[in-house]
Amino acid sequence: MNISTRWIREWANPDVSDSELSEKLTMAGLEVDRIAPVAPPFEGLVVGHVVSCDKHPNADKLSLCEIDIGDGSNLQIICGAPNVRKDLKVVVATVGSVLPSKLKIKRAKLRGVESNGMLCSESEIGLSESHEGIIELDMTATLGENIRSVLDLDDQIIELDITPNRGDCFSVLGVAREVCVNYNLSMPSTIYKAEQKGSRPFTSKVANPSECAKYLTRVIEGVDNSAQTPKWMAQKLLRASQQLHSPIVDITNYVLLELGQPMHAFDLKTINGDIEVRSAHKNEKLELLNGQTVSLTEKTLVIADEKSAIAIAGVMGGMKTATLENSTDILFESAFFDPISIAGIARSYGLHTEASLRFERGVDFNITRQAIERATELVLEICGGTASEINECVDSKSLPALEPIEISNDKISRVLGFDLEPSWIESKFKFLEFEFTTNSANSWTIKPPSFRFDIRIPADIIEELARLYGYDKIPVQRLSINANISPSSQAMISSSDFSSSLVNRGYKEVITYSFISNEMHDLVDPNSTKILLKNPISDDMAVMRSSLWSGLIQSAKSNIRRGHHNARFFELGQCFTGTLVEDQVQKIAGIICGNRHDSQWAEGEREVDFFDAKSDVQALLFHSKNIYTFETAEHPALQLGQAAKIIKGNKIIGWVGALSPKIQKSLSMPNSFLFEVNQKDIEQGEISCYEPFSSFQASQRDIAIVVSKDIAADQLINSIRSLKQDDLVDVNLFDVYEGEHIDEGSKSVALNLTYQSIEVTLTDEQLAEKVSKIVAHLESKFSAKLR
Amino acid sequence: MIKKIITDAKKAIADAMDLKALDDSRVLYLGKKGALTDLLKGLGKLSKEERPVMGEAINEAKVQIQKLLESRKSELEEIALTKRLLDEKIDVTLPARNFEKGSLHPITQTLNHIQDIFTKAGFEIEIGPEIEDDFHNFSALNIPEHHPARAMHDTFYFDSNTVLRTHTSPVQIRTLERQQPPVRVIVPGKVYRNDSDVTHTPMFHQVEGLIVDKEASFSQLKGLLIDFLRAYFEKDDLKVRFRPSYFPFTEPSAEADIECVICGGEGCRVCKKSGWLEVLGCGVVHPNVLTAVNIDPNEFSGLAFGMGVERLAMLRYSVNDLRLFFENDVRFLNQF
Repeated sequence: MNISTRWIREWANPDVSDSELSEKLTMAGLEVDRIAPVAPPFEGLVVGHVVSCDKHPNADKLSLCEIDIGDGSNLQIICGAPNVRKDLKVVVATVGSVLPSKLKIKRAKLRGVESNGMLCSESEIGLSESHEGIIELDMTATLGENIRSVLDLDDQIIELDITPNRGDCFSVLGVAREVCVNYNLSMPSTIYKAEQKGSRPFTSKVANPSECAKYLTRVIEGVDNSAQTPKWMAQKLLRASQQLHSPIVDITNYVLLELGQPMHAFDLKTINGDIEVRSAHKNEKLELLNGQTVSLTEKTLVIADEKSAIAIAGVMGGMKTATLENSTDILFESAFFDPISIAGIARSYGLHTEASLRFERGVDFNITRQAIERATELVLEICGGTASEINECVDSKSLPALEPIEISNDKISRVLGFDLEPSWIESKFKFLEFEFTTNSANSWTIKPPSFRFDIRIPADIIEELARLYGYDKIPVQRLSINANISPSSQAMISSSDFSSSLVNRGYKEVITYSFISNEMHDLVDPNSTKILLKNPISDDMAVMRSSLWSGLIQSAKSNIRRGHHNARFFELGQCFTGTLVEDQVQKIAGIICGNRHDSQWAEGEREVDFFDAKSDVQALLFHSKNIYTFETAEHPALQLGQAAKIIKGNKIIGWVGALSPKIQKSLSMPNSFLFEVNQKDIEQGEISCYEPFSSFQASQRDIAIVVSKDIAADQLINSIRSLKQDDLVDVNLFDVYEGEHIDEGSKSVALNLTYQSIEVTLTDEQLAEKVSKIVAHLESKFSAKLR
Repeated sequence: MIKKIITDAKKAIADAMDLKALDDSRVLYLGKKGALTDLLKGLGKLSKEERPVMGEAINEAKVQIQKLLESRKSELEEIALTKRLLDEKIDVTLPARNFEKGSLHPITQTLNHIQDIFTKAGFEIEIGPEIEDDFHNFSALNIPEHHPARAMHDTFYFDSNTVLRTHTSPVQIRTLERQQPPVRVIVPGKVYRNDSDVTHTPMFHQVEGLIVDKEASFSQLKGLLIDFLRAYFEKDDLKVRFRPSYFPFTEPSAEADIECVICGGEGCRVCKKSGWLEVLGCGVVHPNVLTAVNIDPNEFSGLAFGMGVERLAMLRYSVNDLRLFFENDVRFLNQF
């Protein structure tokens, strides 16, 4: 909310500067986002009277004026504005004055005629962008008076960021109350009483009193809505960022800003019969003031005449019953609508109005009548007319209950951590307009005022006291020591352990959005459930990722496009296969493409391949001592024949492989390799358990066999291991060869066997026998031939 | 005769330019057929009186030549080593083999920094699901349906009851559902709001903190957060101020500002000329929140706080555009 400090000071005027005042409000919880002067600095501008205005002898578009600035001698000034004419009161920049643009006014000759100053437009003195003509001042302005005081320019606009609990501060009255509480000032009265001469009866009734506990109307007849909104009011409205309309509408806006009560004025002649406040009929149509026609829902409270809805209660009036320039008889409405019933209604029609903003947060139900009196007073003053009696529908049991709240000094100290003086507490209760009774020395029963919808429980009162005491003055304490040591698993591998492994292997971590496009989902993980957002930001961010690969592929792609071809990226993040907690799992994934290393002097360049990715994923797996196996498998994102599932026990816990040629083509990606594992399945390691090692020498034996190409290395190794041969401590595959001297469809595999006994040094004969048993096993199981 | 041998040997040893030549000299003078050995063999032909004199002279000569040989040997070895060192000299400034610099994302680094500070103060780390139900994200946090705060959250929905969490606060509820007080946790994680412009990304990170204990007061919250901010920015005298604010799930609520770390409080573009930067929200847990998880607000009090990680990272690393964090450009990532 924007409001001028001058307006606030008419209500509460502490003896401090505007910037001190705004600092105080911020520190009391009414955050001032910005404070800005209404006009930039300038000096030497005064009120002048155009005594004569003739055409410039040498220029068609210029006028030669005699200006009286009240010092006895007239100034000759040349003016180019189209609206300059005799008998205007104008803003005169005299010789020597300085405009906001830093332009210094000098004596000059224009087309051969002397000019001793300048008549100013709004843009020239920094009031607006408008330079359509010079400013026409009120004819009552005193000659020679400083323009800053005439136009009330030594004012500042503060922009308040009001929190949702402080609906009471959406008005000058509310802000003034805060100022008074903070500076120990007393508030001016808000009792208004307009002259009441008319006797036009008007009946209204409320069908849903629980949603509208107060509904007040008043007829004012014979108003002149073509009158001019007075400058003092227009200026306040403009400085509060309100647009000007007709005087009647301006008056309702003014009262809304001044007292916080949203009001509405209907053109009485357009209303058919009596008014009823009721729920809308299903699909009832209403054309609103903004030109939008809405189809109403049954939970919407409306103001209706005998024919149809004429306004959405607490949100916006209808077009048909709006006051116009020629309206003469008006019906004012001032009501209390229940915040909970009104909440969300405006938004459900895509609306957000000054009225709904206030009603949703709570409007003082004791200001309803004062507001209508105040508005009437202003109408009679500005537009004339005769006011009739106020018609009042009140259901007092539906008004918010102001239940007493018990609060003790003990409780206050416990929450805040320090003691407040009971006398100080009581003095603040008074300024806050809390009704209170003292139960015992340190305990009170409080009834909050009707405008404070946020004071309902003891904690609310404690907050009031804390903020008035000043959060900054509250002493600082340390937490008491919490000596509970929670269980911590040493064998648990943390996210940062996993990240470090990859960072040490040259990976850069990325963080990508958790939502991806439909296309990426269909390319990368089409078989998983598609979790769609109801209201995505865009089609590119519509589906929750089930795999980190889409983000990684896109990160690699955008960097390659910028010329960084050797990509090594990883990400840790949640992936989604459903919306339940158990459907959200943390994964770790990586992508590599381009060359394994940047160009260098020491080694040749080499493109990355499957085994680079496998090595990196193993670096993650080997944190734990679990056994993981890699098996050939198919994955929609991976190239057939270069894809492996990673298995622990019977469970697939991850994948590694080459990006499929199909995806490469559709995304213009180079050869890339990907891996992904579920963090939960690899994070639980085991505590190491020492086993004695042999002090006898280990012996190595190499064998080379020829087997069918289709037999996987792991099959051979696992098969040898499955023999559980005594003293065989390691099997290592160190060479694979296909080509010359090996039959088509076969490959040569070289294995290194390590034998070591815990008890003796094995003899050559013993070793030979063990090796031959393995060879025989491989021959029978895989038709292997010893080379 | 011996003098001549010594003189010759001296010269031969000095002239030996490598170990082989030196060994030849040794053989020539001390070997089985060497000059001194010949002399020794001839001792028998000498008279009884001459023999010991001659013998001693030969031995002395032998010792002398041996010393010369040894000293020349070390000289030659020294020369050989010097030559080898020269031959094997490399340019140590050549780039290292196969070195690639990996990096952690600046947001992860910031999260780690924050977590390190709080774990020192005895906080546990909790995480929670990113897809949440209405209860945990809103109602249990005292944000009933149609509460104005809901509209301010720009929530992403899956259905009327399922949302992308708009803050890390639901993990407060999940923690208290599982664990009885005393509780002292922080919750790092991703959160989502349907908002995207220069200063908003639809996904960002928060760290939530929660303390529930018999004695937990607003003064302690102030102390903790001042300590945290000073530790995070590594500035012992960092100015911190607390302003009243509003969150549905805390009462009293506060926002904490720090003196602008860009301009030192003088006023600049980053702090909008105010000299202050808002960095976190906090407060005493609202009794309704404790009641929602069956904790008696008369017996226990809670303290909660939450901070935007991107904001802290931007201030720490002088990053001036939020969106850089999610563009994953290596020119950006390489700097961390």
